[in-house]
Amino acid sequence: MHVVASAFSAETNLLTPLISGIANGSAYGLLGLGLVLLYKSNRIFNFAQGEFATIAAIVAYVFDRGTGWVPKVPYFLALLLGVLAAVGTAMLTERLVIRPLFNRARVVLVVATIGVALFLIGIEGMLPYPQTASLRTISDVLNVRSYVTRVDHVAILDQDLAKFLALAVLAIAAFVFFRYTATGTAILAVSQDATAARVVGISVERISLTTWAIAGLLGGVAGVLLAVPPSGSVTPGSITGLTLTVAFSAAVLGGMTSLPGAFVGGILIGLIEAFANADESFVPGLSSLPTAQAEVAVAVVLLVILLVRPRGLLGQEA
Amino acid sequence: MSVLEVRDLTIRFGGLTAVDGLSLQVNEWEIVGLMGPNGAGKTTAFNCITGFYKADEGHVLYRDRDVTVLPPHRKAALGIARTFQNVGMVKSETVLENLLTAQHTKTGYGPFKALTGASVVRQRERDLAAHADAILELLGLTEFRDWPLGSLSYGTLKLLELGCALATDPDLLLLDEPSSGMGPEESDELGERLLALRRELGVTMLLIEHHVPLVAAVCDYVYVLNFGKLLAQGDPDQVRRHPEVVAAYLGGEAPDALAEALDEETV
Amino acid sequence: MATTELLSPYDAGASQRRASITGWLTRGGAALPIVALVLLLPKHSGDWTNDAIFAAIYAMVGLSMNVLVGYTGQISLGQQAFLGIGALTAANVVHSGTNTPDPFTFALGMVCAVAVSAGAAAVLGGIALRIRGLYLALVTLVFGAVTADAVFTIPSLNGNDAGVSAYRPSAIQTDFSYYVFALVMVGLCVYVDVWIRRTKVGRGLIALRDNELVAGAFGINVLGYKLLGFVLSGAMAGLAGGVFAFWSQEFSDKDFTAAAGFNKALIFVVMVVVGGLGNRAGVIAAAAFFALLDPIFSGIASGTGWLNFYTDHKAYISNIIGAVLLLQTVIFNPGGLGQVIRPFTRWFAGHPFSLHDEHGDAAAAALGGGSDVRA
Repeated sequence: MHVVASAFSAETNLLTPLISGIANGSAYGLLGLGLVLLYKSNRIFNFAQGEFATIAAIVAYVFDRGTGWVPKVPYFLALLLGVLAAVGTAMLTERLVIRPLFNRARVVLVVATIGVALFLIGIEGMLPYPQTASLRTISDVLNVRSYVTRVDHVAILDQDLAKFLALAVLAIAAFVFFRYTATGTAILAVSQDATAARVVGISVERISLTTWAIAGLLGGVAGVLLAVPPSGSVTPGSITGLTLTVAFSAAVLGGMTSLPGAFVGGILIGLIEAFANADESFVPGLSSLPTAQAEVAVAVVLLVILLVRPRGLLGQEA
Repeated sequence: MSVLEVRDLTIRFGGLTAVDGLSLQVNEWEIVGLMGPNGAGKTTAFNCITGFYKADEGHVLYRDRDVTVLPPHRKAALGIARTFQNVGMVKSETVLENLLTAQHTKTGYGPFKALTGASVVRQRERDLAAHADAILELLGLTEFRDWPLGSLSYGTLKLLELGCALATDPDLLLLDEPSSGMGPEESDELGERLLALRRELGVTMLLIEHHVPLVAAVCDYVYVLNFGKLLAQGDPDQVRRHPEVVAAYLGGEAPDALAEALDEETV
Repeated sequence: MATTELLSPYDAGASQRRASITGWLTRGGAALPIVALVLLLPKHSGDWTNDAIFAAIYAMVGLSMNVLVGYTGQISLGQQAFLGIGALTAANVVHSGTNTPDPFTFALGMVCAVAVSAGAAAVLGGIALRIRGLYLALVTLVFGAVTADAVFTIPSLNGNDAGVSAYRPSAIQTDFSYYVFALVMVGLCVYVDVWIRRTKVGRGLIALRDNELVAGAFGINVLGYKLLGFVLSGAMAGLAGGVFAFWSQEFSDKDFTAAAGFNKALIFVVMVVVGGLGNRAGVIAAAAFFALLDPIFSGIASGTGWLNFYTDHKAYISNIIGAVLLLQTVIFNPGGLGQVIRPFTRWFAGHPFSLHDEHGDAAAAALGGGSDVRA
């Protein structure tokens, strides 16, 4: 295979794209988990998921730095506050936007989440903080600069490890949650038939709120892990613009209804991207925009999956 | 002359055989009934005849021409029209617009010519509207011409659906439970109407129907399905006395007394 | 008919009465201020002319979205790709460099813009035949982003990254004359839209949006018409793209890539939803509003002393306004702006003025759960 052959050439080694692929893939998987959760439960695509992440990042940044109107708090507390902000935003979205539209066609809800995303980007833009800054990384904070693993001269950053671990932990937790807990089962019940769920005593309103709160949590964690150098920042709309489409593709690859699928899909898409970027001859002549190669690769993958196997790799329904 | 012939039609959904080796025939100007308990496979057979489902085995012939694999719009263009179990119309449009839409294959202009606004297009549109008005008058629905569908009663909607099927200028009309939701009076009226349509327009019909008096009044021939298989066929009066048919509808063996009771329905 | 219709006191007579001569004169008189505003204000002020052309371009995009989303019921989150394809094609075909192109080449450029864009739309439409609903939304989103990032950045197409210049032919060189040209193009789109609605084309699209089974039973080739919906939408957006290229007098991929492109995609969706799906006048009004949002607000801001704040935050302010309008429309007012101005548009068309919405509004039907999208 051409890609593999060139990966073994003198200039590029196999490990660089592998490492970066898994790292980025974890990020996509993290966002993808939230997307899959909301798709499983509400049958919609939540275009605002990226903004839940950004809100968390911004709040964490502001509390970590401590500006005039907000006290400076320890780093991990700032992260926690960020995640809580994301949870709050998600719950507000559920109450104000999703509730009133509960019974409408799914497309309507998707359009509404687009509106929410637009709105959140706008609000973020109005807040007084340096919009191009980035959140501090975990290794920065723990001051353990020497704790960067080196494998074959390729640096694996701590933050990347953290992303991967967070993804793994959350994916397993989500899986267990849906299989074995009452609330998880209730969420699935409501997604299949809200009326029947009500009949057996499930409070549809509470379940809906809980679901969105969890989605906010997942998005928030993704946000505070993603908004760090080199490529991340707390710029409004950055996560939505750069990562969301890929996260969706990851979720689709895994099968929109499968949480482990989001995990697998995320890693796979990350790898596909990384290898596409590494091999310049993948799409000839396409060098102007650095991400173009990867984008085309992901687009092709997405299209092929949807046309050939709409259920994705691990999903259960078309 | 056979207008519709179905030979050994078999339709399977995964492990379930919904229609099993069904054969039936509808001749010119006949009104044929297709009966059977719920779930017998009648609508499935209809859907296949009209091109919405694929046949796993068997053939559908329209005037001796094999149309088994034609998609729905091609069948409609040939003259095979149908109605749906739940009223099948374009809900966001008015009565008139529905009747115009139903004449899609009779417009006499292509989509690109339509966009030019040429005078022939305008003229044809006027003709279509006139035809629609004629149908409204035939069915006594002229007052509802510009109404949105949401404001109409169920009975009116069913009648309008029949009108839309007629608007396609059909040769063969397939009606899926036309009397559902109707009381005895309305259903008698429907029967009269169907007979009148046959007389005046020369349409051949195949009906799925549960309402026994209607079938008796209107159908020349009846097929009864159960569990996807043909159970009985023949003259309506004979078929409904057939013990197996009665058993299929009521479950278990049916005593003669019950068969007599069925007679009394039409008295 | 034995049954009596107790359900609604619907006055069918109202829709049949058209206005008398005096009625038409009144309507003409009422229309004059609007016409004056549209035609004369741009002539009066140079800045406004530029903005007005932009509004006309957005109006065409709005109409193209209306055909695809409103009539055909397909969602498109990548419409900016067609705008860009039209601009790219027009600029490259005309390819006049620093010279003024002759009218023939210019016309050719515009025609090619329409054709290529329609062709690209056909490709997307082909994909849409197999992929539905929410997944299609995702595919259109990706399509838009990839087209911009991968195709528009090809050096031979974007003037080696410097942009392709697109000077106007001498006949329409001044801003105002170009504005008139743009209005004529809008008029062309409106004309086509009118004839879509009045013939089997529109009826076919709307039928397949509402219920594909019934559409098939009525003889409509569902696959073919879905494709047609995409092609018509792509053609209109391509035309808008051609006008766009010569408005800014260059094609630059920066207008369509990354954040700029994504932003346009969202605005276009907001435009057509707020305007009211399937409602021509509403969509044009909403499109013009969003195009003019920036000039209007900077005008207000400089007048009230908020100019600095506005300039710093202007992208975000239009986001918030757009989002709020979108959510308000979707939740409370599915018919959108179109439904609000419907009494007026009906009146202008010759019907008596009535606040009662006689027509089962397509938008309300489409947004209110008419077609349930299964993903």
